[in-house]
Amino acid sequence: MRRRRFSDTALIAAAALFTFISLAPLLWITLGAFKTTAEMIAIPPVWIPDFTYLQNFIDLFADYWPNLLNSLIVTVGATALALTLAVPTAFALVTFRIRGRNFIADWILSTRMMPPIAAAAPLFIVFNWTGMLGSLPAMILAYAGFNLPFAIWVSMSFLRQVPGELVEAARLEGATWFQVLTRISIPLSLSGIATVATFVFIFAWNEFLLALFLSNSQTQTFPVVISSFIGTGRIYWEYIAAATVVQCVPPVIFAFVMQRHVISGMTMGAIKD
Amino acid sequence: MATSGYGERHPPVGAASAGAAPARPPARAWWSTDRFQTAAFIWPTCVFLLALTLFPFLYSVWLSLHFVRLTTLSRRVWAGLQNYIDLFHDPMFHAALQNTALLAVTSITLEVVIGFTVAKVFYELASRRWVNGLRSAYLVPMMVTPITVGVIANYIMNPHLGILNQLLGLVGGEPVPWFGDPTWARISVLIVSVWQWTPFMALLILAGLLSIRQDILDAARVDGARWWHIIHRIEIPSVLPVLLLGIILRLIEVFRFFDLVYITTRGGPGNSTMVLTLFTYQQNFQYFQVGTGSAAAVVILILCIVVTAFAVRLLRKIQDA
Repeated sequence: MRRRRFSDTALIAAAALFTFISLAPLLWITLGAFKTTAEMIAIPPVWIPDFTYLQNFIDLFADYWPNLLNSLIVTVGATALALTLAVPTAFALVTFRIRGRNFIADWILSTRMMPPIAAAAPLFIVFNWTGMLGSLPAMILAYAGFNLPFAIWVSMSFLRQVPGELVEAARLEGATWFQVLTRISIPLSLSGIATVATFVFIFAWNEFLLALFLSNSQTQTFPVVISSFIGTGRIYWEYIAAATVVQCVPPVIFAFVMQRHVISGMTMGAIKD
Repeated sequence: MATSGYGERHPPVGAASAGAAPARPPARAWWSTDRFQTAAFIWPTCVFLLALTLFPFLYSVWLSLHFVRLTTLSRRVWAGLQNYIDLFHDPMFHAALQNTALLAVTSITLEVVIGFTVAKVFYELASRRWVNGLRSAYLVPMMVTPITVGVIANYIMNPHLGILNQLLGLVGGEPVPWFGDPTWARISVLIVSVWQWTPFMALLILAGLLSIRQDILDAARVDGARWWHIIHRIEIPSVLPVLLLGIILRLIEVFRFFDLVYITTRGGPGNSTMVLTLFTYQQNFQYFQVGTGSAAAVVILILCIVVTAFAVRLLRKIQDA
């Protein structure tokens, strides 16, 4: 028997309040994206704008579609590269009986702690020296690298669930490790690997610091463009609001679709969902 | 040449004994041998990670021992430990250290306290399916692009046009300077960080609470345990490992805290919101003092390793207890 100390109404009201506090700032800037300059600076504020007013978005795409494209290329490239490297390694660390397996796994985990700023100057210098500075591949390499430890660890937690007997049976039939990986382990943990991929995608999409010093004026990603809006001179808030909304669409969709996996993902598989 | 090779006089073993010996699997090409594939699965990743962690670390150490500018790398002068000595006499670096520590302590404490409250509320409502929808909406701040969090903060906390001061005005409050005043700037950064990260803590704690077995709670109630007993003796101990894990992940995150202050304050007013990553970024890429910047990077890395190693050890101890 379970006695309730609080009434349901109070609990629901509290949950609604917490959710409102989480969402209100995002909703407010979303409303701003549909306002005209005059509405944006009106006092008292215009609460509900005309949602058919799309000029801010039209202007934004007209001016900055190359940067959105940069963001997309770097994000997709980094996700692909990180997964291509992470999945075989995770498979090896889960399946192979090799010396130093745990040591390698722990070392990979420990590299997750490395703050990107600690590698910033060396990365800048090396990319500059090789002529890659400011190129999209340089950003893809850096983004993928900093997401590798995460991708490996979470992939390991999914690959562990593949039954060992299947792997052994395939090996007895003469399958190579590559065949075991591509025909058995990946198909059986496809939803898990898709989860890892979406996480890496969002982390790369959200990345700012690396893009700030690795990009040039042609290769700026969208977050760098947004940061450049706030600075000297007049600030066009309605324009910035539209950019913010565009930038936030993927992570917000992600939060709703992946809700169940967010905690296990953010704790690198340490907590199961 | 008459005898062109080994094979002519000594036919291959397989060909000669094909009839008698049991059939062997055909020899594999080099790229499908176990030996090659085992190496190919592991080594590229390890090399890549070494290039991204160990190499920059060693290079940073080397740079930090020189007087050198990013624009004129070849003109460098041996500095010994002078960069480190200068760093520890630099008031801006002091501010960065203090502010990072202060932010870590205040922000994580608030996140844990508020997060526990939120988790309790969602826990009590966990039997209702529609609460899942509310939970997804609640966790949105932790996934949203950090740079846009800074932009939104700037927009909402603008001293003149921001909605927050206008709402304060409606209820008769004084306008708050937010990011414009040293003390308020720190408070504002704290508020935004807590807003962004409390959902993470709350959901982590919720996962811990949901793992408590119902029969243990029932038994405690039958034995007449009061609610504070249940919180103190059952819920907090069961949540503790998860909580520590959350704190470790947040500590790692605090060391890379950058986007918000870059957008809102650039470390100001004065040095009131200067943090470690911003300090290092400015040394490297605005003043081009990579010697100083690298010294700061080395200090950050060592601090990060020490703090997280300590926290991980604490976590292991609690898990074993």
